[in-house]
Amino acid sequence: MSHKSEVDLGRVTLLEAMRGQGKEWEVLAPCYDVTNPNPPWKTSLTAMCDCLDASGALPTLDRRRAEDELAEAVYSDVPAPESQLLALVHTMLNHGLVSEGELAGRMRTVRSRLEAV
Amino acid sequence: MNKAHNYGTDGHGHDHKAAPMVEEITDFEVLEIAVRELSIEHGLFTAEDHRRFTEFAESIGPAGGSRLVAKIWTDPAFKARAMEDPVKACLEIGIDWSKPTGFGTPSDYTHLTILEDTPMLHHVICCSLCSCYPRPLLGMSPEWYRTTNYRRRLVRWPRQVLAEFGLILPPEVEIRVEDSNQKCRFIVLPLRPSGTENWTEEKLAEIVTRDCMIGVALPEPGRTADVHPVVKARRPVHHEEAAR
Repeated sequence: MSHKSEVDLGRVTLLEAMRGQGKEWEVLAPCYDVTNPNPPWKTSLTAMCDCLDASGALPTLDRRRAEDELAEAVYSDVPAPESQLLALVHTMLNHGLVSEGELAGRMRTVRSRLEAV
Repeated sequence: MNKAHNYGTDGHGHDHKAAPMVEEITDFEVLEIAVRELSIEHGLFTAEDHRRFTEFAESIGPAGGSRLVAKIWTDPAFKARAMEDPVKACLEIGIDWSKPTGFGTPSDYTHLTILEDTPMLHHVICCSLCSCYPRPLLGMSPEWYRTTNYRRRLVRWPRQVLAEFGLILPPEVEIRVEDSNQKCRFIVLPLRPSGTENWTEEKLAEIVTRDCMIGVALPEPGRTADVHPVVKARRPVHHEEAAR
């Protein structure tokens, strides 16, 4: 393909740890008799992509090119929209918009907060 | 029982059974929140920006496109204006492409073309490069629209891909695929089906579903949703057969 992105296809340790746990929405939702085709965070993810485009931090075309390459080369066994989320974060890490260390720390904080209620 | 407080039995003022929820916090949910919070803290966008884009994403649907098509079908003068300047004509049905969210969405402010089907020509849209879609008119794109299976194969084998949606067109009907990009968006103007003579604009709009405006389905009286009960096919169609 002529429109290659600048994305690094190397594996990201933090994101690799999330795979293969059977927690993708298409697996999880039927276990709870939930029929909504999308997880509750899907629209928020879409809005985040729009925000990143509108602010110029990560233009849509760059993001989607990277997503295509990552979906084929790295996250081919992950269904949508989880693959879209992983590809977005992977691309943001590549662009230096966030770091893996701070993201891992924030994930611990967020999980503690959610589990506290 | 005090009628003023007759809210049912679930303690939340609902008289119906609550829909089931996934009672589990996944790493994916946590990741989405974490990266969003960090983005806001790094100044990439604000929480208010995010709320507004979320509201926009959840509030739009294909109703605007349905109204556009129905008005074109019933109002020749409007059709002439719409084919001449679709973005301007959209203002007449309450859709402002320059400000679809109410505060401007640069990625949506594009050149719009209405693709008119004829008895011998059928249009279908895609975005072979990414997922460009006429959101102000059709809302959020369906998941399948984003897949490589659809967008890359459609431009090569449109007849076969349409058959996979159950749309099998006669061989003599030409299929034209329009490939969207960051600045060019398309919407299909399907043929008005027979049996809809004397229908009101509102009634016509009900049969112009999202899939009809993408071009993977045709409007027909009685079909008002892209999802219907599944029945077994009387004559199953095989891939190779459909592609011929």
